[in-house]
Amino acid sequence: MAQPADLLYSKEHEWVKMDGDTATIGITDYAQNALGDIVYVELPKVGAQIPRFGNVGVVESVKAVSDLFSPVGGEVVEVNPELDNDPALVNREPFEGGWMFKLRLDDGAQTSGLLSADDYGKLTAE
Amino acid sequence: MTTQETAVKQTALYNEHVRLGARMIPFGGFDMPVQYTSILREHEAVRHRAGLFDLSHMGQFILQGENVAAWADELTVNAVSTMKPGQARYNIFTNERGGALDDVIFYKLPDRWLLVVNAGNAGKMWTYLNSHLANSGVKLTSLHGRNALIAIQGPKSVTMLERHTGVDISALKYYFCTEGSVYGKRAIVARTGYTGEDGFEMFVDGDDAAEIWNNLLRDNANAGLAPTGLGARDVLRLEAGMPLYGHELTEEITPVQAGLDWVVKFSKPNFTGKAALEAQKNADDYARIAGLVMDGRAPAREGYHVFLGDRRVGEIRSGSIAPSVQNKNIATALVEKEAAVPGTPVVVHIRGTAYGAAVVQLPFYKRSQ
Repeated sequence: MAQPADLLYSKEHEWVKMDGDTATIGITDYAQNALGDIVYVELPKVGAQIPRFGNVGVVESVKAVSDLFSPVGGEVVEVNPELDNDPALVNREPFEGGWMFKLRLDDGAQTSGLLSADDYGKLTAE
Repeated sequence: MTTQETAVKQTALYNEHVRLGARMIPFGGFDMPVQYTSILREHEAVRHRAGLFDLSHMGQFILQGENVAAWADELTVNAVSTMKPGQARYNIFTNERGGALDDVIFYKLPDRWLLVVNAGNAGKMWTYLNSHLANSGVKLTSLHGRNALIAIQGPKSVTMLERHTGVDISALKYYFCTEGSVYGKRAIVARTGYTGEDGFEMFVDGDDAAEIWNNLLRDNANAGLAPTGLGARDVLRLEAGMPLYGHELTEEITPVQAGLDWVVKFSKPNFTGKAALEAQKNADDYARIAGLVMDGRAPAREGYHVFLGDRRVGEIRSGSIAPSVQNKNIATALVEKEAAVPGTPVVVHIRGTAYGAAVVQLPFYKRSQ
């Protein structure tokens, strides 16, 4: 499964797009495929302070409830407003329209331990 | 605690599922397809065209002897003696407390009976039935794991199946069955199902199952017959208000509590659990299964607590998004009598937040005739 080279990935199957002091977070194509039809996404509130690796919400498919973690820490500045009405957007466009939330990164925010696209590809090929 | 380690078995169609790219999960002791493409796409196929299901995990028992009907009438809540050859009937085995041991279907054939039990209860029911055979003159044999069961369900079922069976299926009435053939292979064909749609269930020899399965998919590919997994099946049955053993019916949840009074024939002289069920029905103060439609988009899941005002009145037993109910989230809940009245606004607690829901009459979905 293809994953964009310009993103960082967590072992819990989230992706992070770093852009200056802002990070956009979503779940990977591998994750959406494993979950199946996504019917509900519960996102953090704008303004919430998220610790790195903190549990920030849930992603629910027809059969399962999965926790959503944030691979980086910071303050939530935006959540994807489309997902409330169209959660299946995460299935259709996991790396684009299906993004989940944006954080203003903590000072000295850590990205250590996150994977490159190549390394994440190897992880999910196992 | 002791646990019995039993290897997960494969149905006669296991290789076909793998070839179709199904996601397999252990269910009722068998490795079963939960989905082939997507639960929602398969659901859509069944509601508008038809889906093909492997239900070979379900227990198939054969009952023979003059006394089967009288014997079964004492162990179950519905009437067995009044069944005519070629008839199928939903029924429930109950314990002395009225709790459900299993919900089943009896199929009366000219010279024998077919009893279909839930996969997860097959071992329990085999033991239970055998322990009640003494002096009954009833002969019990199991075809479980040997015979296959293929279902075709959906509005196009007749069109898709009729050219390939020796049975006049359009003349076969709902909840009737007959012995015949499908693609020239011996089959019991029944107009029964668990989806809320028209459809047929075909009991065939395990050795013939793959050929029938593959032929039906090939010959109806253009008409949109979709192999359909247990994931979609659960959504379909919930929308149709049909109980799933372990959820709406258990050894602790009686048929009366499950709203299945129509199945319970109190006019029968005696059956296991009759006194308990009669007392429960007359007292009319029992917790019961209610249908819930959620206000918001958060799905209600099994085990979530249900409140009437500030008072906890029960818990969710099944829940799902319901594409056939305006894409709302629906659920069944076991709640106190007061909270089970259609129209009652209740609250479901989901991860610490209260979400509104309305109690509705079951079923959630009824097909247009």
